[in-house]
Amino acid sequence: MPVGADIIEALRMELRRGTLILAVLGALREERYGYTLRSALAGQGVEIDEGALYPMLRRLETQGLLTSEWREDAKRQKRFYQLSNDGAAALKHLTDEWRAMNGAIEKILKETGR
Amino acid sequence: MSGPAKTKTGDLVERYLAAVKRRLPNAQAADITAELREALNDKLEAKEAELGRAAGADDVAAVLRVFGSPPLVAARYAGREYLIGPGLYPYFWQTQRIAVGLAIALAIVVAAVRSVQASDPMRVVWRGMSAAWEAGIFVFGVVTVVFLVMEQTGVAAKFEAAWDPRHLPRDNIRKPVSLFESLVALAFDALFIAWWVGVLRFENIIPDRWVRDSADLVASAEFSDAWGPVFLPVLALAILTALVHVADVFHPAWSRVRAAVVIAGNAGGLAVLWVLAQGGDLVDVVASTEGAEGAARLQVVLNNVAEISLPVAAIVFAIHICIEAWRVAGALRMRPPPAMA
Repeated sequence: MPVGADIIEALRMELRRGTLILAVLGALREERYGYTLRSALAGQGVEIDEGALYPMLRRLETQGLLTSEWREDAKRQKRFYQLSNDGAAALKHLTDEWRAMNGAIEKILKETGR
Repeated sequence: MSGPAKTKTGDLVERYLAAVKRRLPNAQAADITAELREALNDKLEAKEAELGRAAGADDVAAVLRVFGSPPLVAARYAGREYLIGPGLYPYFWQTQRIAVGLAIALAIVVAAVRSVQASDPMRVVWRGMSAAWEAGIFVFGVVTVVFLVMEQTGVAAKFEAAWDPRHLPRDNIRKPVSLFESLVALAFDALFIAWWVGVLRFENIIPDRWVRDSADLVASAEFSDAWGPVFLPVLALAILTALVHVADVFHPAWSRVRAAVVIAGNAGGLAVLWVLAQGGDLVDVVASTEGAEGAARLQVVLNNVAEISLPVAAIVFAIHICIEAWRVAGALRMRPPPAMA
């Protein structure tokens, strides 16, 4: 019996959930506001809904991983985000974890012939 | 796009932002909605660039729909998208099943007792069903509030930390008692205790034809004086049995403590039977003078039946004691697995 599209979608969302934070932290090594951040991520193939992105930015800032400030850009006030020092340290930990996990999963998938 | 609040499409954006803002914490609401407004403006500008014209109401609605409904977006800012989290959820449902089940069972027992005494039993039964339904909903609400508080105060983590594998049930000794079975047993316990202490009364009228063919004769079966010394012991044993069934609700698996209590209870039952066996007649049939002869005959028959019942009951109690003793022996024979090298 083939796996239902809804199950695949749920699994895909679960797989992406943790990695999106890594992508956002990585992209914010350079200062960006919400719209340009989303465009930068999309340009690299990582799509994220605005409805999820902005709350995530706020949460990461509350956790001390990002800093933000309102500033004028193209005659409009924008909220710019950037990685904080703690955020940079967290990014390093997460990147190491990601690489280790990625390598392990690659090995497993190769061993099982997929 | 310029001046969004003054245009028809801008009005839609402002209504959307107002709907989100209503659901946000006051301290952050203005800041978050200012940021969302900017994000939506950027998005709409990009949309207009793509269309090569000003965005219409349908275009704005499409953008907002993709952004997410106001409750959903606001909930994401709250950081907690559930009331009772996955850590507490299994305990929540288990407690609901027990608490709601007990409340309904209790309401049904009360209704049953009242219906026996009522002149219009059906009406009492209907009221009882309604009361059981209300009791179930009320208890469900109370348990939910308690778990909400537990979730907010972080008790869930303590639950997990308190878990100890050594307390896992010994299902291999005896299957756990089902919740339904425990609740039914409790209902019967409650009925028996209510009857034994006289809260619930049954008419012990014996049909006329059993005594003699007279329509005017009134005869009834009563406990004899032999039951006097065992009144309190029987009450204590009934309460003990009810407590065992209450314990089964919360801890349905077999345990040595439960086995010890069951053995003690059945031993107590044997002692009660011994006292009754020494006491002579167990049943008195009381009748008017007119039917005294027939009543005396019936009393002999009933006491013969009681005389046979005593050893049968004793055998049942003894079998229960043996079964529990066997289970205890089985549990004692178990050894922990050898230490891993």
